[in-house]
Amino acid sequence: MSAGLNLVLVGSAALFAIGAFATVARRSAVVALLGTQFMLVAGGIAFVAFARFGLGAANATAGASMALFAGAIAVAELVLASGRCDAHIIELPA
Amino acid sequence: MLLIGALPEPITSAPLVVFIYLLLILMVAGALASVLLRSTLYAIGAFSATMALVGLLYLTIAPFLLFALQLLVFTTISAALLIALLRETAGLRASSVGPFSREWIIGAAVSAVLLAVVAVVVGATSWPVHVCCALPESFGGTLRDTYTVGLAVVIVGLAASALGSGLLLAAPILPSSRGGGSPTDRRRDRPRGAPR
Repeated sequence: MSAGLNLVLVGSAALFAIGAFATVARRSAVVALLGTQFMLVAGGIAFVAFARFGLGAANATAGASMALFAGAIAVAELVLASGRCDAHIIELPA
Repeated sequence: MLLIGALPEPITSAPLVVFIYLLLILMVAGALASVLLRSTLYAIGAFSATMALVGLLYLTIAPFLLFALQLLVFTTISAALLIALLRETAGLRASSVGPFSREWIIGAAVSAVLLAVVAVVVGATSWPVHVCCALPESFGGTLRDTYTVGLAVVIVGLAASALGSGLLLAAPILPSSRGGGSPTDRRRDRPRGAPR
């Protein structure tokens, strides 16, 4: 038994699929936000997996850097979306 | 430059492989739970658990700094933001259990014991930390030397989004043309837990 590129990529793809489902199919704004987070994190995991097990191992820290950027973008997107959601919901008539 | 025939070997250490399988299964289960749960608060809890599991996955296959950032920064900020959003919009009810009640003390004791066990295992065996920290190059050095512009862009983007969000939340809200009255008054007058 071993854990290699395929295994981590399968996990990453599953996470991306769940995120896409949440973004497209769920009506709750918070769950849709969670879905976008999952998709970004899945991309980061794929970068890290290729850096650890694939051709990216020639420069192993590059994949981790990309995952770091993806995480930061996810947090920034969450900050903006939560602020926008809050303002929008407060503005709705009672 | 590595060729296709010289790809790095997959992980074959049995405990680490089992650990990675377990992490991936729990990660997918946590993501599914956060999407399918009806209670938003539980969904946010499952989301935070999933992010923490992603951090643990990074611990096994990525540099330690990425694990630390994922666990301490991204997970914490995401959970705090979502809970703040929930408080502002749907409202959170105060817990009926006091902070020093029996349940909290037992939970804290169990958590402390589990953390102590993990610390003892990591300290005694250096597993799985030694796997992730065997990379030849420094992650921080790569970020500083190769991705200076990207890092600066990310920092500026984070700061700008935080500033914009803070201004958005702090700014007074003008009365909406769709409904009468000040939204602030509406929020203050609304009974706790009542639907909007």
